[in-house]
Amino acid sequence: MPKIKDNFVIPGDFIGTSEEFLSRNGTYEDKGNIYAACTGVVKIDTKERSVSVVPQTDTPPVPKVGDIVIGRVSDIKSSVVLVDIARIKGQEDREIATPEQGAIHISNIKDAYVKELGYEFGFRDIVRAKVIDAKTLRLSTDHKDLGVIKAICSRCRATLRRKGDKLECSGCGRIETRKIADDYGSGMI
Amino acid sequence: MSDKPKKLIEKGKRLDGRKVDELRPIKMEAGVLKRADGSCYMELGGNKVIAAVYGPRAVHPRHLQEATQVIIRYRYDMASFSVEDRKRPGPDRRSVEISKVSREAIEPSIIKEYFPRSTIDIFVEILQADAGTRTVGINAASVALADAGIPMRGLVSSCAVGKVDGQIVLDLTGEEDNYGEADMPIAMTQDGKITLLQMDGHLTKEEFALAIELAKQGCKAIYEVQRNALVAKYKGGSYV
Repeated sequence: MPKIKDNFVIPGDFIGTSEEFLSRNGTYEDKGNIYAACTGVVKIDTKERSVSVVPQTDTPPVPKVGDIVIGRVSDIKSSVVLVDIARIKGQEDREIATPEQGAIHISNIKDAYVKELGYEFGFRDIVRAKVIDAKTLRLSTDHKDLGVIKAICSRCRATLRRKGDKLECSGCGRIETRKIADDYGSGMI
Repeated sequence: MSDKPKKLIEKGKRLDGRKVDELRPIKMEAGVLKRADGSCYMELGGNKVIAAVYGPRAVHPRHLQEATQVIIRYRYDMASFSVEDRKRPGPDRRSVEISKVSREAIEPSIIKEYFPRSTIDIFVEILQADAGTRTVGINAASVALADAGIPMRGLVSSCAVGKVDGQIVLDLTGEEDNYGEADMPIAMTQDGKITLLQMDGHLTKEEFALAIELAKQGCKAIYEVQRNALVAKYKGGSYV
């Protein structure tokens, strides 16, 4: 194995041994040796004695705690809303690497009493939410920027337009309520 | 195709002037496509190949997905204008087989446990063919995967060896492939583990051992080119 000359590595480059470092992100261990798993710059944490590779390439989007995600409501249960996550904000041009459903629990919708989920979300609404647990993909919309960014009428499927803090159907005039984001209907994700 | 030349090797030189252990000129560039998540263009003599990688992403149809690891799909495809007589476009028996063996050549280099229930799709398009297209495809696909930021154990390098006029030679051209005695494409990881080995024709045990050694040298040379392609694209850092 070639010893690295500088701190730029590509996959398979030998970085060190497991006696020297803990193997962290962007590296892997094989028979006591640590190798780079991605293309980037080696970073050594002298305090923890760990080594990682900071990728210089574009990386596959994986949701982390605090990420803002965009998705579509795929199911509404009695105390939870399921969302098909489509994109992570900031990496919009790349599909999500581990596609899974996120869940917004009734307690994470807003800082107020929620009587019925049907008043806050509708089937097939487009939602912007924040990841609060990356492992189980629990989401929250408890912020003025978060919530429904596009909704359709539950009766006629036409787009709902904002009217004060309520939504009005552009087709049949029906009034509906949602936990709407501040910029509802602007088309910005 | 032209008629068989009398001699394929004359005074240690081949038809295109190369020595027996010499590769054709290589050109390689990473990240040539904007829409793909990762891509690579490679030329090896008369071969011109582009590889694109998408994913990891959702698997369709869903029954193909695996609960513990990512699945890899590899499509090798020749453009209709890639060969002298027009190739009927679309998958055929040959390209389906090459897709399968190429996928198996690439698969061990990918750390698959990181993205369960997802797929990585690799598309290899042969724009111009001149023997050894599968090896060029594997080289390009390997760099395209690294370009996509997919965690890998290392790069896979690949080249062909064969027997022409009774001699073991590296990296056969179309003519040498057609009129030679054997053609053997090989792919290996950078620590020398063989992930692809096919053979057309006959070699003795001694010739085979010699051929493997020659292929190792060829793969090493190609690895350096692959490395340089990634370094040229990413060293200095557009991201971070």
